[in-house]
Amino acid sequence: MRIEEKKPHRREVMQGGFALLAAGASLGEGRGELQETPALRDEVADGKLPEIEERIPIEPAVADLEAIGTPGGELRMLMAGPKDTRMMVVYGYARLVGYTPSLVLAPDILKSIDVEDGRVFTLHLRKRHKWSDGRPFTSEDFRYWFEDVAQNKNLSPSGMPISMMPQGEGPRFEVLDETTVQYKWTRPNPLFLPDLAGPSPLFIYRPAHYLKQFHQRYADKTALEIFVKQANQRNWAALHNKLDTMYRDDNPDLPSLDPWILKTKPPSDRFVFERNPYYYRIDKRGNQLPYIDRVILSIADSKIIPAKTGAGESDLQARYLRFDNYTFLKGSEQRNDFKVRLWRTGPGSQLALYPNLNVNDEIWHSLLHDLRFRRALSLAVDRHEINQVIYFGLAIEGQNTVLPQSPLYKSRYRSAWAQFDLHEANRLLDLIGLTERGNDGTRQLSDGRPIEIIVENAGESTEQADVLELIRDSWRLIGVRLYAKPSQLTLFRRRVFSGETLMSIDKGIENGLATATMSPWEFAPTSQQQLEWPKWGQYYETKGIAGEPPNLPSVIRLKNLYEEWLAAASHEEQAHIWHDMLQIWADEVFSIGTVAGVLQPVVVNAKLRNVPEQGIYNWDPGAFFGIYKPDGFWFDLSEPSAKSAFMAPSPR
Amino acid sequence: MLSYLVHRILIMIPTLIAISIVIFAIINLPPGDYFSTYITELQSSGEAADLAKIAFLKAQYGFDRPLWEQYIFWAGGLLHGDMGYSFAYNLPVNQVVGDRLLMTFIVSFATILFTYFVAFPIGVYSATHQYSWTDHVLTLLGFLGLATPSFLLALVLLYFGNVYFGISIGGLMDPKYVNRPWSFGKVVSVSAHLWIPVIVIGTAGTASMIRRLRANLLDELQKQYVVTARAKGLHPLRLLFKYPLRMALNPFISDIGSLLPHVISGAAIVSVVMSLPTTGPMLLEALRSQDMYLAGSFLMFLAFLTVIGVFISDIALAILDPRIRLQAGRRR
Amino acid sequence: MTDLLFAGDSPREQANGSTTQTADPLSHYVSDAPFDPYAIERMTPAQERFYMASEWRMVWWKLRRHRIAVLSGVILLTMYISILFSEFLAPYDLDARNTDFIYAPPQRVRVFDKGQLVRPFVYGYNYRLDMNNLERIYMPIPDKPEPIRFFCRSGTYRFWGVFESDLHLICPAHGGQLFLAGTDRLGRDLLSRMIYGARISLTIGLLGVAVSFTLGVLIGGIAGYYGGWTDILVQRGIEVIQSFPHLPLWMALSAILPVSWSPILVYIGITLILGMIEWTHLARAVRSKLLSLREEDFCTAAVLMGARPARIVGRHLLPSFMSHLIASATLMIPGMILGETALSFLGLGLRPPMTSWGVLLNEAQNINVVALYPWLMLPVTCIIITVLAFNFFGDGLRDAADPYH
Repeated sequence: MRIEEKKPHRREVMQGGFALLAAGASLGEGRGELQETPALRDEVADGKLPEIEERIPIEPAVADLEAIGTPGGELRMLMAGPKDTRMMVVYGYARLVGYTPSLVLAPDILKSIDVEDGRVFTLHLRKRHKWSDGRPFTSEDFRYWFEDVAQNKNLSPSGMPISMMPQGEGPRFEVLDETTVQYKWTRPNPLFLPDLAGPSPLFIYRPAHYLKQFHQRYADKTALEIFVKQANQRNWAALHNKLDTMYRDDNPDLPSLDPWILKTKPPSDRFVFERNPYYYRIDKRGNQLPYIDRVILSIADSKIIPAKTGAGESDLQARYLRFDNYTFLKGSEQRNDFKVRLWRTGPGSQLALYPNLNVNDEIWHSLLHDLRFRRALSLAVDRHEINQVIYFGLAIEGQNTVLPQSPLYKSRYRSAWAQFDLHEANRLLDLIGLTERGNDGTRQLSDGRPIEIIVENAGESTEQADVLELIRDSWRLIGVRLYAKPSQLTLFRRRVFSGETLMSIDKGIENGLATATMSPWEFAPTSQQQLEWPKWGQYYETKGIAGEPPNLPSVIRLKNLYEEWLAAASHEEQAHIWHDMLQIWADEVFSIGTVAGVLQPVVVNAKLRNVPEQGIYNWDPGAFFGIYKPDGFWFDLSEPSAKSAFMAPSPR
Repeated sequence: MLSYLVHRILIMIPTLIAISIVIFAIINLPPGDYFSTYITELQSSGEAADLAKIAFLKAQYGFDRPLWEQYIFWAGGLLHGDMGYSFAYNLPVNQVVGDRLLMTFIVSFATILFTYFVAFPIGVYSATHQYSWTDHVLTLLGFLGLATPSFLLALVLLYFGNVYFGISIGGLMDPKYVNRPWSFGKVVSVSAHLWIPVIVIGTAGTASMIRRLRANLLDELQKQYVVTARAKGLHPLRLLFKYPLRMALNPFISDIGSLLPHVISGAAIVSVVMSLPTTGPMLLEALRSQDMYLAGSFLMFLAFLTVIGVFISDIALAILDPRIRLQAGRRR
Repeated sequence: MTDLLFAGDSPREQANGSTTQTADPLSHYVSDAPFDPYAIERMTPAQERFYMASEWRMVWWKLRRHRIAVLSGVILLTMYISILFSEFLAPYDLDARNTDFIYAPPQRVRVFDKGQLVRPFVYGYNYRLDMNNLERIYMPIPDKPEPIRFFCRSGTYRFWGVFESDLHLICPAHGGQLFLAGTDRLGRDLLSRMIYGARISLTIGLLGVAVSFTLGVLIGGIAGYYGGWTDILVQRGIEVIQSFPHLPLWMALSAILPVSWSPILVYIGITLILGMIEWTHLARAVRSKLLSLREEDFCTAAVLMGARPARIVGRHLLPSFMSHLIASATLMIPGMILGETALSFLGLGLRPPMTSWGVLLNEAQNINVVALYPWLMLPVTCIIITVLAFNFFGDGLRDAADPYH
């Protein structure tokens, strides 16, 4: 499905700046007469809602859909907890700037955006864009956030979000007119747009008209106190924070710009989201999106969701389904009215081993810093076996790096040190000097201890245990012993961060579909969360207050490259830096990847249309279903289909 | 009798206090707290949007205060009937719990009834026909529920219930009835879903019931008065029902007090597997994520119920069984 | 011997002074063995064995009457003995895996090959990948029987960690497979894993009960013997623990088990946890019994003779109801075994790579297994049999525990 936000030509504003994608404000071009939404006809007739011409912005976004749909129907999905209401914000993917399915940034809510030098961003809103309660969406909503939320010490004790503070410097914010705002930095801020387009995005606006009644600066003092007391909160800031849940989406009174608005007040086991009558997108025929009238999230225990999906209780489900559920789901296809598709997942490696370069033990520290050791370990992993045994041979073997779908992909990145070569691995280990062996054939460290690597993990899936089991057998052949130690998430991370863990196993690079404009932070020591160098990452994160500075030359180089990327002026420069980093990453084997591109089962109701047959199921970028824009999904009730007697009520 | 009552009531208070301390200790035993666990979760899944909010909440709720202060705060709240605030649900605890209590009671009540209905005939038959093969077979059936791990049994029954009877998997009713007012269809749906958890949880409890009933009944049947009655020609069934059974019913009554919390917590695992909207999964999740107020207050509520329940069943037993009343003076 | 005179009969004096007897309706017997005042009390050896039997012997006799209990006892004994020989009994090693036979269904043992009775064998599997359903399809090959070998030599192992051996009770044919219970997702033989798993599951029960037993007897004994304030305190303490739902206690206790512990230590920790929660019932029983027995004369006598409390409790009071205690303890073991499976389910107990029935069941706890690979649920039968056996055996013990009843 292709959605283009613009006329099929791009204008690039050079000025040493970035590629800029402007919306062609095409009123009445390429779309037909506006059609009133059938579900809302009654309310419009009663006068409760204005007519459709009044509800959509003057220049609405026109979706370019594969097939024009018919409005109507309700979509059922299964989620595992009340916190999962945030998935509606993720899936709905109503962003100021969003990714297209080809991973290009394009304005979505915004009519257009001007970028100058990568540091001055002028955002143009759509005229007469309204919130879900009919009130105008204007630059005041941006100003409210910038001045009264982000800079309010009570509401935001930790200050502004990181992506708005490149090198610690915040932007200068200016309201140019009712529908135009500007953010100006002195340095380029390449993180700003990708963060706006993220699955858990940067929200730089708020429904000011609603939240002002809970803000100390604007609300009537006594009224505010009554609100605070009624809601059982400690003070106005707590109340404001409780109600301001743009991401978590659990406040039915909060106005929003998403395609579906929450109507059920928590707590509940079943959340109903109704269509947003003021949604800003229409299709080419003039129907207001979303097509689907209602989305219902049913809460169930995550372990039982595959069973429930197999029983036909979900119309669109990928979350909580795993690859090994495919056979069961396919077998249930007949009994129920759905089809199972297989999409590719996005991480650079489904599971990767992370030797902890900040481990406390001295001998291990120097051994892990030895490049040949890491390469030998990587060569001794039989990725083909892992692929065959666990993933039916359908995954892509290779290192923990970008996937073939990424424009930055080069095959040598994935294949570096990823062959199964025991001979070479043994040779490298002998070269290092680890020739002493114990009685059972395990090599020994320089102080006589056997080379036993304890791989810790968060113990959350049998997948990890299985992969470790397979790796254990192949490492035995080079004289290295592996012990898997499952633990609990918080403890696991704590031990890694403090350097007690020798090696850990976790998901690979999150963004395997990277393009040059996306941040290469995962390849440089930028965060404590990176299991291969937590202390170096922490050093960067806390700006030197905690952690340790990197002392491996290649890692220092990666860090410098990352900082160059942050200051890079052109697309080419960014791509160049990316390739440098990817090459270092491939040579140094900082993490040992296994397989990637594992298939994700996606269950789709047989009547649901515009859901891609093949797609990418990824968090960032991708927002799972987000980039495919579920507001364009629709139920096709025209063709007869075999309905099983057990099916829940079909969509209207 | 009265002094006994007063004595028991007075004893309940320090018991409850001790229980509250134990509960508080237990919840705070695992390292970390709700916020650090949640933050770790968010960080590992790459969702940073809520992080600022959580830091805010953490400071707000004084999780940096020493433990004993937190305890006093919580216990004090409890005395006022304020069960605190659940961070996971972003709501006051009473709202979260209250919602699920009705369903929990329905399930528990049905389970207890089922347990009694199954255990009673088997226990009676087993005592009167000791060592016969039918006795063995029936006892085997009664114990089978105990022997099968409940989580696996629940899953299997769920699957077959769906494949053969079309019952939607998990939950206590068809999804379309959730949050709707009670109607005939909803009642039917709940009954259809109810039998699986009732069977799984109930059969686990039948074993001990059967055993107790059989032991007590056997004891009674050896007594002189039974022999006399039989010798005098009283019909065996009539004999059975008139005296020994009444004695043997003691455990049914006295056990209600301890049965209730056992059922509520024993149901926790099955409820998790079947995703029932009862308090079990809520408690488990609260304990896992260390949602202190929700877990602590609810556990306190359960403990309170138990203590009251034991007390009530003791009273009931005293009323029913004159022997206990008369021995009350000598009772330790 | 003295003559016994009958009423209504008088000896007739004869002319030469001898007494004669006339024939009378009631004849009698007069023994001329010497008089032994204890004749009534002396017993024949057979009688002696019966009447002088010790309490334990009487318990055993009564137990024997309960046929099911005896059967259960035999089953349990076999299972526990098998723990010693797990390596010998299991056809495959604990971590042996075969990537060509993932999710293979169980093979049926046959004895008739084309109508002829031959030594037991199984059919080999032909396997193909169904890329449509992503399923592995296994079809038995009828013309390739693989005879099962008995007392054969296969993979080597260390018997009891000391002796190296490679003798197995049954093994697959050379180059063939023997999956009597099917395989799991890594191609590991389920039957072997069940046999090895018995080691941990069965011993956890015993160890846990040992812990409970000690705690229960100790605390119950103290409370029962001393009475008064100690008793009241212990009573309340027991009430606090009993009115607590088990789950949170388990979770909290499991959470404090340090992660850095080796699997063995974790295992011990878990038995301790299970044991520490169950001792209350035993303590209550001990306490109530002691309270009543305390007033008995033999106890008073011991006190007067200056015995210390420990000796009185241990030597005089406890043995009188030890059989009850043993019966109760036996009935607690299945609770421990099931507790271990529940802990595994909650993710708190043992985890792979340790193998126990709980771990096996936890791996089987998903819809794929129930719908597609049901043989992976076979460890349930082990648990059911064990738990039932313990229950029946314990019931029999309890019935027999009071042989004087």
